[in-house]
Amino acid sequence: MKTEIRDVFIQTLSALRESNELLTVLVSDSSSTCRIKPFMEKYPDSVVNVGIAEQNLVGMAAGMSLGGMIPFTANAAPFLMGRSNEQVKTDICYSNTNVKLVGLNPGFAYGSLGPTHHCLDDLSTALSFGNIEVLVPSDPEETAQMTEYAFRKEGPVYIRLDSFKAESIHPDDYIFQVGEPVQLTEGTDLTIVTTGTIVHEALEAEKELKAKGFSVQLITLPSLRPLNRKALTSLLQNTGKLLSVEEHSVHGGLGALLADLILESGLNMRFRKLGVPEGEFAPASPREDIKAGYKLNAPGIIEESIRLIKG
Amino acid sequence: MRNPFSLNPSEISGKAKNIRQSIIYMNSTAGAGHTGADLSETDILASLYFNILGYDPDNLKDPERDRFILSKGHGVGGYYCTLAEAGILDKSQLDSYLKKDSLLPGHPVRQKTPGIEFNTGALGHGLPAAAGLALAAKKQNKTYKTIVLLGDGELEEGSNWEASMAAAHFQLDNLIVIVDRNGLQLADRTEIIMALEPLDRKFESFGYSVQKIDGNNPEEIIDAVELCTPGGGKPHLILASTTKGKGVSFIEDQPAWHHKIPVGDEIKKAIEELE
Repeated sequence: MKTEIRDVFIQTLSALRESNELLTVLVSDSSSTCRIKPFMEKYPDSVVNVGIAEQNLVGMAAGMSLGGMIPFTANAAPFLMGRSNEQVKTDICYSNTNVKLVGLNPGFAYGSLGPTHHCLDDLSTALSFGNIEVLVPSDPEETAQMTEYAFRKEGPVYIRLDSFKAESIHPDDYIFQVGEPVQLTEGTDLTIVTTGTIVHEALEAEKELKAKGFSVQLITLPSLRPLNRKALTSLLQNTGKLLSVEEHSVHGGLGALLADLILESGLNMRFRKLGVPEGEFAPASPREDIKAGYKLNAPGIIEESIRLIKG
Repeated sequence: MRNPFSLNPSEISGKAKNIRQSIIYMNSTAGAGHTGADLSETDILASLYFNILGYDPDNLKDPERDRFILSKGHGVGGYYCTLAEAGILDKSQLDSYLKKDSLLPGHPVRQKTPGIEFNTGALGHGLPAAAGLALAAKKQNKTYKTIVLLGDGELEEGSNWEASMAAAHFQLDNLIVIVDRNGLQLADRTEIIMALEPLDRKFESFGYSVQKIDGNNPEEIIDAVELCTPGGGKPHLILASTTKGKGVSFIEDQPAWHHKIPVGDEIKKAIEELE
């Protein structure tokens, strides 16, 4: 059954709030964005709506944590990392406040609303700051476990949370382990590394590639920081070719992280990054069309994979 | 929670004099610092730490303590010297100001320096955090008060006005905002760079209860804060008229002294004026 992962996020918060009244959710007129209504109905005093004021959203969250509470913020990712950039850096990361920032609808989730609403730089931004963990769930089970992990983790955490209906891609006994790469399929011709919900496109691509006779190792990174680089490097050695797939700028995100890793670990690999090319805005179009344009869907991933394998 | 000193205004003025001398020595030793800003806020900080703020010097993390945020983080020199005068820092530590790996860097860092609540330096960050602290007290039925000291030039940052809207909306009558209104910012006078006045009416229209006082007079500072009682549903704002560089004639009200330090004979002259 497909489940909207934002609903899983809110259900998890409700369960956590039930046993800990210090948990508070701050929104910036974004209660529908994060689908928080069921939580609000149950715990109206545990939701703070600061209005359309993202700088204050993050600043007040920092202050509430200094007062002993455990704040989650939930608003659209472009306005979190964009508008309140310096608050995230200073009030959360540098001040080491116990705040969990949840950036909703990242990538091109807002499709035709255009670049004002696209968020292609949240990962690069968060990874450029010190002292914050950067997590990206890909399915309902991982969303639930990651939310609970963030709640229990003392210190700043960023969660990139898509609006996405998905089935679980992980086995029933899956346990999210922060920092660990997750190998979804084994393979010898090519490794695909991805993060977040776009893994569903990569999984579909892997199935079709397998049917065509290609052996693909598919890895997803639910945690970009911390990251067990040794474990990832070891997995990358299984093939000589690598394709990174991300709904983000190729500048400073997953692909850039992998490029660094390859160079620094001395791996000899043929490598191609899929994402929004350096120096470009994505067009204002429906999400599926934007993804197709950048080959960030199953057919595009298949095409690029075959080119890499045969090249 | 009570203040560990509870000094009277004239005793506080004596403490302020000591703090100002420390500022002159510390900045001269470091070879850098925001001397004008440090001297401007001294009477406010001395009144806070020697009379107003409730805290336990032996347990600076007590959850019931009053919270203070120095939003004008560049005034950290005055802050360190006040903490040293109150015994929270050792006075000998002041010699390490701005040095490599010092516990006293050029802006407040809560992980490094005892007594500091929040890292500031970029302007416009203190008031939103203070509003969050005040709201957290309300949510938990705690009685601590939150006091934040803002520079006046800093009011040009829009985040202050976002936080002001929220402070009134959430009826944060346990929040006290003090503005160090010395009329100067980095480049020149505030009213030349970006006119702020009429500040009292602006803050009133945002929903604050506003008082105007002489911010270099501890008696007026203490009396004003005493009037900031919770219960009225309005956040409190104290417009504290100050003199930047207060206490040293050749530093007073000079934009150039925002981040200048006294050298050579200036040090001796400054200390003489402060004795």
